[in-house]
Amino acid sequence: MAAIKKGDTVVLVGTRKGLFLFHSRDRRRWQSRGPFLRGQEVRHAILDPRDGKTVYAGGTDEHWGPAIARSTDFGGRWTMGEEGPRYSKESGLTATRVWQLQAGEDGDLWAGVEPAGLFRSGDGGKTWASVDGLNYRPERKDWQPGGGGLVLHTILPYPGEPNRMLVGISSSGVFGTHDGGATWQEMNGGVRKYEGGVMKDNVIGSCPHKIARDARDPAVLYMQNHVGVYRRRRGDPGWTIIEEGLPKIEKKVPASFGFPMASHPHDAGTAYVVPLEGDFNRVTPKGAMAVYRTRNGGNRWQRLSKGLPQKDAWFTVLRDALRTDDGDPAGVYVGTTTGQLYASRNEGDSWQLLADHLNGIQSVEAGTVGGR
Amino acid sequence: MVEGEPTVRVELPTGLREYAGGRDSFEVRAGTLADAVRALNAQFPGLAYRLLDDQGRMRRYVLVFVNEDPVAHLEPEAVRLRDGDTVHIVPSVAGG
Repeated sequence: MAAIKKGDTVVLVGTRKGLFLFHSRDRRRWQSRGPFLRGQEVRHAILDPRDGKTVYAGGTDEHWGPAIARSTDFGGRWTMGEEGPRYSKESGLTATRVWQLQAGEDGDLWAGVEPAGLFRSGDGGKTWASVDGLNYRPERKDWQPGGGGLVLHTILPYPGEPNRMLVGISSSGVFGTHDGGATWQEMNGGVRKYEGGVMKDNVIGSCPHKIARDARDPAVLYMQNHVGVYRRRRGDPGWTIIEEGLPKIEKKVPASFGFPMASHPHDAGTAYVVPLEGDFNRVTPKGAMAVYRTRNGGNRWQRLSKGLPQKDAWFTVLRDALRTDDGDPAGVYVGTTTGQLYASRNEGDSWQLLADHLNGIQSVEAGTVGGR
Repeated sequence: MVEGEPTVRVELPTGLREYAGGRDSFEVRAGTLADAVRALNAQFPGLAYRLLDDQGRMRRYVLVFVNEDPVAHLEPEAVRLRDGDTVHIVPSVAGG
């Protein structure tokens, strides 16, 4: 097994059957490790950016439940807490799957689970506490599941401000807190309603698929929603549609459908999406795979397909299967439900097949060993 | 072991052995299925989490038989055990 050294790029790939790890010194020649957490579905795994060496993986064993595993030697040894996130007896709920992990601003580790809930660990995943202000808010009774269930799939801490955070719940909406999770506000204003018109803030019912913060200004958000692609800037009263250059579902439904959204690690206004044909057929349009990039905050999107399959490519790219690394130029990584992992070392201009024949890819994350 | 409680045997499937020190068979003193799970968890902390959901019921795809009787659908506290019983914990045949 090739050694992983400080400064290497590491790509973590969560699949329906375990976790895989790819690493490279130059992002041209790659080595692989895994599978880890064999037999488990790994919806998400992260390289903790605070130390650049701790890997957290959210796995679900369909028989024995969900758990969060931790490795500080890139998969040589894994440890697990005695318990994963658990709902209270009074709630009547049971956590069945870990959908999202995120390193916090104050040393915490966050987990988003199904049915939708947010949990915090202050000890590296050994024990977990419910964020009651969100999980047990009275409006929860009106939260509705999407096609993937009622899930909390996006957690965005605010850099430098531990009390601020944003989460995405399908199919209830975007929620923000400014008080460390005690209270939350819905942030769905401007999103298309299914029946026409747009939503207001402080109502629920939107289905965010993925949200990312801008590299330079964390108050700027980009969202791939079930009904379109959006941006929200500091002080905006709601979300603004940003779909110029993206394929649309059809003429009658001008929205652009897809699951992932990823932002550039350094450049303001640069983000990536992978549009799909539509919610009626969640595959790459016309069987030709493309990643779309904006460099001006979503005012215009550019199709990137050099090195990506342009024929008979009828797969799905899930919400966490598109990410950037923190290199310069940025690396971009995208995984498919048919098990291909594509990588770009030039910000998406061209792509190489990094791995084929994996199981269905649920998530991709990339980072630098030892941090950057 | 709890003095005075029935002595029962608990058989674990392959998938749970990694949470139980590699073993697959235990003798514990337990008056109920819930007691048996608690007794195992006392030896191997975290094993109960693998068996019980957040509401204290057996997880959805976990089957439990006391001798030959299926009991996973019952509240673990309500499943009475007798001296000499064998509790079989089995993963259901499910998945993809």
